[in-house]
Amino acid sequence: MSVPADQLAQLGSAAAKPGRRLPNKYKLFLMALPFLAVTFIFYYLPIYGWIYAFYDYIPGIPLEKTPFVGFKWFRTIAENPTQTAEVVRVMKNTVAMSGLGIATSFLPVVFAILLTEIKTGWYRRIVQTLTTIPNFISWILVYSVAFTLFSVDNGLVNTLLLKLGFIDDGINFLANNRNVWLAMIAWYWWKSLGWGAILYLAAITGIDQELYEAAEVDGASRFRKIWHITVPGIMPTFFVLLLLSIGNFVNNGMEQYFAFQNAMNKDTIEVLDLYVYNIAFSNNFAFATVVSMLKSIISVFLLFLANGMSKWVRKESII
Amino acid sequence: MRFKKLTSLALAAILAVAVTACSSSKNEESKNSPPASASPSSGGSGASASASPEGGLDHTKELELTVFSTTANYAGEQTGWYGKILKDKFNIKLNIIASNLDGGQNKIAAMMASGDLGDIVVFGSDKTDYPNAIKGGLLLDWTKDGLLDKYGKYIVDNFPKAIEKAKIAFGGGQAVYGLGHNVAGNQPGPSEGKDLTWGPELRWDLYKQLGYPEIRTPQDYLGVLKKMQELEPKNEQGKKTYAFSLWSDWDGNYKMTLAKQFANMYGYDENGATLLYVAADEDKYYEFLSDDSWYMKSLKLYFDANQMGLVDPDSLTQKFDDVVGKYKDGRLLFSWFPWLGSANYNTPDRTAVGKGFATVPFKEEKVYSWGFNQYGNDWIMAIGAKAKEPERIMEFINWLYTPEGAMLSSGGGTAIQNGPKGLTWDLDKDGKPFVTDFGWQAFADQKGTIVPDEYGGGTFYDGQSQINFSNVAPGLTNPETGEPYDHNLWTSSLKRNPSQLDQEWRDKMGALTPKEYFVKNNMIAVAPQGFTGKPPLMMDKALEQKNAQIGTVIQQYSWKMIFAKDEAQYDKYKQEMMDKVKGLGYDEVLAFSVKKAEELFESRKSVQQ
Repeated sequence: MSVPADQLAQLGSAAAKPGRRLPNKYKLFLMALPFLAVTFIFYYLPIYGWIYAFYDYIPGIPLEKTPFVGFKWFRTIAENPTQTAEVVRVMKNTVAMSGLGIATSFLPVVFAILLTEIKTGWYRRIVQTLTTIPNFISWILVYSVAFTLFSVDNGLVNTLLLKLGFIDDGINFLANNRNVWLAMIAWYWWKSLGWGAILYLAAITGIDQELYEAAEVDGASRFRKIWHITVPGIMPTFFVLLLLSIGNFVNNGMEQYFAFQNAMNKDTIEVLDLYVYNIAFSNNFAFATVVSMLKSIISVFLLFLANGMSKWVRKESII
Repeated sequence: MRFKKLTSLALAAILAVAVTACSSSKNEESKNSPPASASPSSGGSGASASASPEGGLDHTKELELTVFSTTANYAGEQTGWYGKILKDKFNIKLNIIASNLDGGQNKIAAMMASGDLGDIVVFGSDKTDYPNAIKGGLLLDWTKDGLLDKYGKYIVDNFPKAIEKAKIAFGGGQAVYGLGHNVAGNQPGPSEGKDLTWGPELRWDLYKQLGYPEIRTPQDYLGVLKKMQELEPKNEQGKKTYAFSLWSDWDGNYKMTLAKQFANMYGYDENGATLLYVAADEDKYYEFLSDDSWYMKSLKLYFDANQMGLVDPDSLTQKFDDVVGKYKDGRLLFSWFPWLGSANYNTPDRTAVGKGFATVPFKEEKVYSWGFNQYGNDWIMAIGAKAKEPERIMEFINWLYTPEGAMLSSGGGTAIQNGPKGLTWDLDKDGKPFVTDFGWQAFADQKGTIVPDEYGGGTFYDGQSQINFSNVAPGLTNPETGEPYDHNLWTSSLKRNPSQLDQEWRDKMGALTPKEYFVKNNMIAVAPQGFTGKPPLMMDKALEQKNAQIGTVIQQYSWKMIFAKDEAQYDKYKQEMMDKVKGLGYDEVLAFSVKKAEELFESRKSVQQ
């Protein structure tokens, strides 16, 4: 259905007088303009909001009536040893959670490959649907599922273990400080595995079928075909997503951790976003802005770093 | 080709929406103003009812008011019996925005930043947002154009002290931007209804089986509760019972909410989010992290209870609604609050056979109570600066303070709103109010009782005023009947035939209601409600930040201490907590807290006779 750009331009200006024709490049630019405007409005204009980091801003009071405080809120991050220790603890959690996320980011690739290898159509569709649905469940509801499964008093798992005689007392899975990072990454993949695989499924569909046929003729086994055709075929997609996730290293969001946090696991579950929410977001916009500024700067830095690595290792880059 | 055209049209439409979204603040106004096309149709019905006797305001046009309430727990249009009353009387429709359901403090901040708070604004505190909204010019001055004098006559004549406070504390001596909640006349004694905020309550039937053992201090409950648990180890469904089931989702970010309840039963309360607990009726305070404080003692008490197997192991991870369910199922034996224990467990079937929660105070108890407040308490009702037709809004707010309005609208906690006259209550031939049979049924089963269509339809629960703001105190005496507004306190209600449970309790305790018992035995500490005559002290941003961090540490460690494995671990956590809060600026916050307490003591002088 797609029409080449030059033809499209001719179509559109068929009625116009020949003398008034705009060169095609301007036309194309005009067509792109609304999207550039949207990008500018939604991605560049908000940067103006960084100005709030330098004021003791209170919502409802105009900025000109608000005291200018310079870098005060930047300094509070490292004001005293206890404060610094808190920030270090939070950063440790952030790095751990994001690190685990990146280390396990091959999971949707594996899942997508396995899914395409299922030859029974209806079964594949059922599996794919069932694994995609959790993506649309909010974290708060995921938590209530977790609570019904793992609560001490009435949880399914504890009841089962008790009935089978493996344990004598209920285990408090949700309120303990052990393996919090692993548990969180497990919940994360439970929710987003199917969704994450969609891009790879698309990439696999895009691989030329002739390659497989040729390999078949050459007598390649199923595993060989996967290894030599499918995997290299989706590597570019994988690397683009990997680079983006490295760029998002410090943004692991807060919904999941907010829903699962309690006094027992708070030390290890509090990531940067949650920390900002817990201490600042409800009343201190200046501080929240400072943190988000620092996050943006770190993210841009990490993205370029990862891109450079990619250029160096794979001779390819996305920027 | 045709398909393509359609898609491009759709894309253009999406784009248009996206672009206009940026300038939505402009559109908002036009959206809020009453739709011109809707008014003629409704005008017909409204006109007859709204030829108002006072003020002479024109009610023929329907007025749709946006109510931004930070205390409401319902969002959307006010429906049901209360909606019908407002429609008939004033031809107004309320559209409620509830920040509680929509991002909490973040929603409030977003509304403030947008510069438009709607027509009627309710603040859940007069500490931060309200003064900021005044500073930002977001609220209407009621004295402008004589609005208050012309359309707020009842308030001006009957509650002058509330206006005085509004002027001095927040209005620079002249302007009135809003009034506090639960305003009262100059009436002594506790302002609550038949129950106070705290009990505590025990399962009366089990307590009776044990022969009413004496309880001197909160710690004595533990032994009694252990025996009660042995008497009834499982509920009707065969699930384990516990004495305490705690929840953390009400903690906010400052402290463990449930650890302050015994301090309240000793007549102390927190003074905002500060480090001191202040006595209700004396000028005394203590640091709540000190060893003598009932906050710390409560942590120890729950720790001991947990060691005895009395604490629900899911306390750390469950939410408040889970706990309510456990009370309903009869899985818990202790309740801090009447509105939690007896309100959920005591069904008519159970109380008829003497089963149920009832107040069992400890000997040392001196329960905290709020006195009647002529100045109004700290929730605020205000009018937005951009409100349309402020005259009609003022007229409506004035009505909320009149006997007619208060009989229908005042309420809160266990003081359920009375409902429409003629249906749930009425006046007898002597002019004394009584609750009808339908009324008792509606109050007991608010969500299950259907209100007849001529009174507005829907369930009784949904039909209540959803603004969640009681303009006058429910315990205040109605000058027209000589009885309080709260139907629980009407003579006819108190004399109504009691259940077996109520009868047993009354015989044993020698009082009709818990409030009467506490007052009679001098076990109540009524906090006088005054004000300093000065704008309130506020933390600066940097101190506020430190305080918030201290609060999150206190909250986290409180829970850890309760669920510590043994005493050694308990002490270790306690030490860690103290070290951390000291490092985060405890002393600075403490200095401010002392000033804040002194401010409170000064304010009390204003109401001492």
